[in-house]
Amino acid sequence: MTRWFEDVEPGEKFPIGDHRFTAAEIVAFARAYDPQYLHTDAERAAAGPFGGLTASFCHAVVVGHRKMVDALAAEAERLRRAGQEPGVSGPSPGLSRIEIAAPVRPGDTLSYTLTITGKRVSNSLPGWGLLFNRIDAVNQYGEAVYFAEVVGFSKRRDYKMPLGIRVRMVLGRLVGRVRPRRGRKG
Amino acid sequence: MTTPPVRPRIAEELARGEVIALEPVTLTREMVVGYAREFDPLPFHLDESAARRSLLGGLAASGWQTALFAHKRLIEALPAGLDARLVSIVDLKWKRPVLVGDTISGTATIDDIAPAEGNAARNTLTVGVEMRNQRGEPVLTVTCRYALGGVGSANGGAAA
Repeated sequence: MTRWFEDVEPGEKFPIGDHRFTAAEIVAFARAYDPQYLHTDAERAAAGPFGGLTASFCHAVVVGHRKMVDALAAEAERLRRAGQEPGVSGPSPGLSRIEIAAPVRPGDTLSYTLTITGKRVSNSLPGWGLLFNRIDAVNQYGEAVYFAEVVGFSKRRDYKMPLGIRVRMVLGRLVGRVRPRRGRKG
Repeated sequence: MTTPPVRPRIAEELARGEVIALEPVTLTREMVVGYAREFDPLPFHLDESAARRSLLGGLAASGWQTALFAHKRLIEALPAGLDARLVSIVDLKWKRPVLVGDTISGTATIDDIAPAEGNAARNTLTVGVEMRNQRGEPVLTVTCRYALGGVGSANGGAAA
């Protein structure tokens, strides 16, 4: 989240947005990343397992990720406008699982919700914590389409860096400052 | 004319333990930034200097873009006439950043292939996927389960 690691409460639930899947974008996405007739050829898909064109599940999942990114950016903006400094989200080290339950057809609208399911301090990255999130996607009929259990890095506001690491970082920065200047002249 | 049942054919062509090669793809700046604009507009996927200051250390592809290429290469490698629908993803790890200019390729090892539960016309394929960069370093590992259908299956898809 765009809140600091310390300010995130497990159990909190955030609606992160809706997306309507059009036939044109279903086909365009599938041509790029999931080139199968189920997702690219309405005529052949009519005789397929779902009796019509369906979106690649990869498509539904990456749109859910986009919704999360947009929700984070919107929250950061809100905090800035309220005169607060937003927290920092890092990249994701991975996810534990995604389960897919129902197809997505042209014209369907998915509603995405993010739930914080847990958090802990990172063992490998000083100054960072891990947030455990669950994303649920539900269609306009209220049917579950998929859920994903993902992990994300979140910066710790109250972290005090040990002296040894701080000294190394300052030295690193000094060296870094000298080198790029030389590079740019050359 | 009757079409032969699909299950034996799949069982012949895909066997447990088989390793499917996932062909290389080089991620250009255009691909990385283009994908990020559409699906993952975080500063470290869009902007060189923001990326250098981030945990990723340089302009890096969205982890999902790497995963999508693994999926695409697997689909392309399956026997013609089969369709594969993703059913679940387990334990996906983005092990290191894929930076602009990196070439990734990998393997999908068939952990299991068995008739789908409750649907005799389809099979469930479980694969362990590993993608590596041009230095052979793993960038992504994941286990995926697919529902397979295809030519001749009653419920499976493409008409023969």
